Order: sequence, then structure tokens, then C-alpha cells
Amino acid sequence: MTQASEIGVRRWLFAVPALSLVCLFVLIPYINIGIMSFRTPSTTAPYGPGFTVTNYVHILSDSLYLSLLAETLLFAIATTAVCLVLAFPVAFHLARTTSRWRGLLYAGVLSPLLTGVVIRCFGWIVLLANNGLVNQALGTFGVGPFQLMYNATGVTIALVHVFLPLMILPLMNAIQSVDPHLEEAARTLGASRMRVFQRVVLPLILPGLQSGVILVFVLAASAYVIPMLLGGGRVQTLPTVMVQQLMGGLLWPFGAALALVFSAAVLASVWAFALLGRRRMRRLA
Amino acid sequence: MKIVSAGLLISVAAVYLFLLLPIAIVVLASFNAAEYLSFPPTGLSFRWYSAFLNSPSFTSAFFVSIIVGLVAAAAATLIGTPAAIFYVRFLRRRREEFRLAILAPMLLPEVLTAIALLFFFNQVFIGTQTPLPLILGHIVITLPFVFLTVSSALYNLPVAVEEAARTLGASSWKAFRRVTFPLIKSGIVTGAMFAFIMSFDNVNISLLLKAIGTSTLPIQLFDYLRYDFDPTAAAASTISVGLTMVIVLAIDRIYGLRAVRF
Repeated sequence: MTQASEIGVRRWLFAVPALSLVCLFVLIPYINIGIMSFRTPSTTAPYGPGFTVTNYVHILSDSLYLSLLAETLLFAIATTAVCLVLAFPVAFHLARTTSRWRGLLYAGVLSPLLTGVVIRCFGWIVLLANNGLVNQALGTFGVGPFQLMYNATGVTIALVHVFLPLMILPLMNAIQSVDPHLEEAARTLGASRMRVFQRVVLPLILPGLQSGVILVFVLAASAYVIPMLLGGGRVQTLPTVMVQQLMGGLLWPFGAALALVFSAAVLASVWAFALLGRRRMRRLA
Repeated sequence: MKIVSAGLLISVAAVYLFLLLPIAIVVLASFNAAEYLSFPPTGLSFRWYSAFLNSPSFTSAFFVSIIVGLVAAAAATLIGTPAAIFYVRFLRRRREEFRLAILAPMLLPEVLTAIALLFFFNQVFIGTQTPLPLILGHIVITLPFVFLTVSSALYNLPVAVEEAARTLGASSWKAFRRVTFPLIKSGIVTGAMFAFIMSFDNVNISLLLKAIGTSTLPIQLFDYLRYDFDPTAAAASTISVGLTMVIVLAIDRIYGLRAVRF
């Protein structure tokens, strides 16, 4: 008995470094944000003595922050929707193709993910600027130039580009685990393509779809670099305002409260979506 | 039937174009002679690469990124590998909780983690005067990638292999060192490489945790692009993309890209 528990303790030693790292540098700092958000603001130090709820009152009573929050969530919803539409054909193709270029195609989805966000934004700046390649190309047809950057259009395009692989990959994994014979069987039994998709494929890939949607939504909502570069200061989201507040002034308690309100809103959206998915899954089952 | 699949192929090709075009454009801009990229390009030139090499702020940022990436990847590998072994081989209860705890830095929004760490280091630790907070932040966010890759390597290895070694009289340490480790070595190396890429590309953590006066390559690019678009940034980006591609090819050779699951 003592020997068995000794082995148990020795085995836990494997996990101790990783668990302490996460505890010390994730769990405690996040709890600390919560405490910080109730601190009093100060003009001479990052925060003052004592505790208060004024930070939250300030945010929730100021329509500026509430409309920023709504705009940020809207960007995330639009990005997720467009990603979903674009990811489906690619995920289907990649999951089912027998082409010998399959490895290369997979790398084509994976490599943008492994290229830095700043570099991908740079590519879009070259393409979308007023004298950029897209407007040059349109100009030869006598159209434009259009304002494609420093506005919501440019930010949404770059958001979709950056997070699309994160929608494709879980969808592809989900589609791969669906037996193609199931679709054939349903087709043989007389179901139309659309009906096969709705009644056979969709219910089976719903978990993969859900994880892709949640991942893209959360990441798009909390993106900082993309709205900064493609928005050029003219598009603001809650994360950009949050970071500016923290880097520029010494507004730690207010920044912390902003971060918590933002996380709560994102979590609530994810929760609502998961609930919707569960209901839909139950109806299909 | 035919029409449907042709439509599918065209939309698939369009999405691939969308995914890869911006990266290709950056590479193209770095070799373009003129200040602004126009079609057709005005000529081939390496002047932006020499501008990159002659810019101390870019080259020093590049070396900072390399060093931080190497240190973070090494530490994340040393910490993440035993955690993956524990999770796959030993842990029986509360497995999902453990997995989520280790993956938390990947699942939580990076901006929030960066803000949390900024407060934390300034309050109870050492402030952001030294490179230590930056490196610790990078270790935290790269840990999940090592954990995921090594776990999947372990899942692909049948337990029977180890059991056979044990039956033949090897101690559990010897069985690990002589049998398990050589078989998951490629998975560990792949995890380390992913960790390096993730650190090398990181902006959010670096932006808030970097020591004053130093900069990583993505931060340098970020600051540069907010005010300036000259192709020196394109040359720096292309070098960084090239480095990433070399690592991805190496991963594909060593481990196989398709075996990597996120």
C-alpha cells in the first residue's frame, strides 16, 4: 500500500513543473485581474489603496464602452459567419480528396496559421491600401478607388484571413471521421444532396463545427493586432482600447474591470451558442 | 453531379488563393525594386534586404526573437514532455480537467493573459526591466503545443511495446530510456519546433511584457507598419516566413504534418 502510494507520488512529479507553471503564471494572474478590478484608481501609482466598485459602475453606465463592446462582438460574429461559409468547401475537399497533392494542400491551410499575424496584416495592407494592388487592378477597369482599409471592411477581411485555418482544421477532422458509406446509403435510399447533408452529415460533424465556431469567435473578439493595423486607429475594439489604457496611462483598475466585463460578455455569447447547439442536436437526434 | 463538383473545386481554389495571396504578396514586395508594389513589378532587387541588414533595430530584434524562441521552446519542452507522459500513461481520474489546465494558455485569449501577466509581474515579481517576464510569458503560451504534440506521439505508440520491455526485465526507467523515448523523440522534437514558431510569431505577450528598450521582430514590424510601409519590413517578413517554412518542412520530414493535430 505504501509502496503503491509512493509510486503514485513519484508519478505526480512528472506533472508538477507544468501544473506549477500554469498555476503561478495563469491561474494566479487571472485571479489577480479580478482583485485589481475592484481597486481604487490613483493618479500617482498604478492603483490606490482600498476597494471600490466605481470601475464597473463607470463602464456599465458609459454608453461609449457598451457600444464598443457591441461593435467588438459584431466583428467577431461577422468573422465567424464568413469563416464558416469559406471553411466548408475546403474542409470537405481536404477530408475526402485522394489527390496526391493532399499533403501540399494541407500545408496550404496550415502554413498561414504558422505565419505571424503581423506579416499577414502587412500583406493585406499592400493589397487593400488606397494605392494598393486591389485598387490598382480595379483602376485598370476604370473602377474605384475604394476605401478598403482603415475601416470595418479591411479589419473584417484580415480577421477572416487570420482565423480561417482554425475553422477549417476542426471541421476537416470532423468530416474525416464520418463514414462516406453513410452518405452513399442515404443517397441510394433516395435523399437529395441537401437532405443528406442536413440529416446525415451535419448532425455528425456538429461537435467539430461547434469547436471551430467557438475558437474563431473568441479569438476574433480578442484580436488586438489586426484592428490596430488594418483599422489604423480609426477602428476601435474593446481589446485595442484596453491595451491603450494600460500602456498609455496608469489606469490598471479600470483596465482590469474592462477586461473582466469583456470576458464575461464573450463567455456569455459562447455559452448561449453552446446551448443553441445542444438544443439543435437534441432535435436532430 | 459534375457541375456540383466543378463548383466545389472553384470555390476551394478561391479560398486557397485568399489564404496564400497576402503572404505571397509580402514576399514579392521584398524583391521589388520600387518603393511601392505595382503590377507588373518594376524590377528585381535585393536593396530591401541590405536595408534590413543595415538596420540595427531590425537585426537586434531578429536576434532577440531567435534567442527568446530557443529558450522558451527548450523550457516548454522540458516541462511539457513529462506532463504529456503523465497525462497519457499515468493519469486515470480527472483527465479532462488536467488537459484543460495545461491547454489553458492556448484556449484563453492571449491579450488577457498578457494583461494578467503584466499586472502580476509588476506587483509581486520583478517588473518588466529584465527579459525574464517576456521569456516566462513565452514559456507559458508555448507549453500547450509541446503537450499536444507529445501526447499524440504517445497515443500512437502502443503500451504493449513498453510492457514487452518490462517483461523482459527492464526497469521502468530503462524501458522509458531505451524504448519509449527513442520512439517518441520525433514527437518531442516536433513539439519543440512548434513551440519555437509560436514564440517567434508572438505579438500580444511580447507587446506587454518586453523590457523597455528591447523589441522582438514581430513587435518591431508592428511598430514599423503603423507609421511606415517601406519594403524593409517586407524583407524582414520574408526572412521570418522563410524560417517558418524551413521548420515546417523539417517537421513534415521528421514527423509528418498530417500526424499533427490541434
